[in-house]
Amino acid sequence: MRRTDKYRFWAVLAGLVVLQFSLRTRLGDDRTAPDFMLLALLIYAIRAPAGRGAAAGFLVGLLRDALAPASFGAGALAHTIVGYLAARSKAVFFAENLFVNAWMFFAGTWVRNCLVALLSGQLRGGLLGWELLVWSPVQSLTTALVGVLVLWVFGRQLAIRMSDA
Amino acid sequence: MTRRNTATSSPRNGITLGSDRYAGRGDTLLFLVCVGLSFAAMSLPDHLRGPLARGLRQTVLAPLLALQEESQLLAASLSRYQTVVAQRDSAMLAATFLPELRSENDRLRGLLGLGQRLGSGYVAAEVLHQSLPTSPLTLLASAGQKEGVRPLAAVVSPEGLLGIVSAVDVQTCVVVTWAHPEFRASAMAADGSVYGIISPHGTEGARSWLLELRGVPYRETVPNGTQILTSGLGGVFPRGIPIGTVIGLAGEAEGWERTYLVRPAVHPAAASHVVILTGGHGSGDVRSAFQQAGESQ
Repeated sequence: MRRTDKYRFWAVLAGLVVLQFSLRTRLGDDRTAPDFMLLALLIYAIRAPAGRGAAAGFLVGLLRDALAPASFGAGALAHTIVGYLAARSKAVFFAENLFVNAWMFFAGTWVRNCLVALLSGQLRGGLLGWELLVWSPVQSLTTALVGVLVLWVFGRQLAIRMSDA
Repeated sequence: MTRRNTATSSPRNGITLGSDRYAGRGDTLLFLVCVGLSFAAMSLPDHLRGPLARGLRQTVLAPLLALQEESQLLAASLSRYQTVVAQRDSAMLAATFLPELRSENDRLRGLLGLGQRLGSGYVAAEVLHQSLPTSPLTLLASAGQKEGVRPLAAVVSPEGLLGIVSAVDVQTCVVVTWAHPEFRASAMAADGSVYGIISPHGTEGARSWLLELRGVPYRETVPNGTQILTSGLGGVFPRGIPIGTVIGLAGEAEGWERTYLVRPAVHPAAASHVVILTGGHGSGDVRSAFQQAGESQ
């Protein structure tokens, strides 16, 4: 693998993080707008060893918790689990397939949202139901669509294996 | 969970995973550590949780939050810019009508003043402009028999003579303006030294919207800038209504009369409100009413 591709991989992830803090605020409802940061985590975790995926998830979750202290720790735990499972998933799925990636983005976002909603204990009753059954699936869908777009545009750069890096 | 999966290049599934490993003991251990730290974070008391979150926001997240703030500022600026542009466009639109409104206001004030000075024997009317090429030749005014308008009544504006009523309906009347080819009026110089007949100069060419003063004796000369008024002869128009200003010589008829070009005091297309003189003025001089109107403007 060429060195430039490795840099491009990290540039794509950094670009997603930047989009999280720049573009996302303009994409409408916060509950349905795609989560670029989680997408970056999933793209990384799918291509990384499980331990690194979990650690990356923990760091991302901790940073997200710092921005939403009401559920401090819940985000870290949810992202850790999602990162770990995403990394482990390539033992089960054909991870280079675009559809599989899209499904993993969808599932990862939905699982993350469910875990945060449940672990934080902040949402109850109908609010929890709406979050789990309406808003989370919609956000998962938008995140998956953006993920597919990213993989379609930057497929070559994102095909890099962390073990090669 | 703790198996080490080397998953080397496999002809069976076609993926080239190389030396990727999915989850070793170290990975599992790292995962468990992260989970433990997450639970620890969840169980942090508020007095520790707050400073930790604040510390992350002020260090690692600071540039990202600044980026988000800038982005939102930019979005707000764009929104405000669009609002400002919309306000500016509205102001510009309003400003385009402002001179016209001022002009109309001045005309209405002039009409009001003219009406007061005329005292009685007049009807105010609105010109009902039509979008036809010939509309400046004949105008429709919003006053008719109900208001006492009669044929051959003089139609004036604060600036001067506009035309004459040719036909009267119940609520409207038709005004033949001075631009109509058949319009004629007895006229004189403001000092009464010269008399003649005023008529439109023609309907073709650059001078089509001018008047001409005909029948001026050859021995009389009318200097440029002389104001021409109705003479009151014939009893149709009262004496002293401004018609226009002499701007030059139009022609001479073999040594016995001169014709002068006259710039009209009012253009038919510019008239929006008029006064129709319905009687009571006779051949009396109404010059003073128009002079005061000119002074007030």
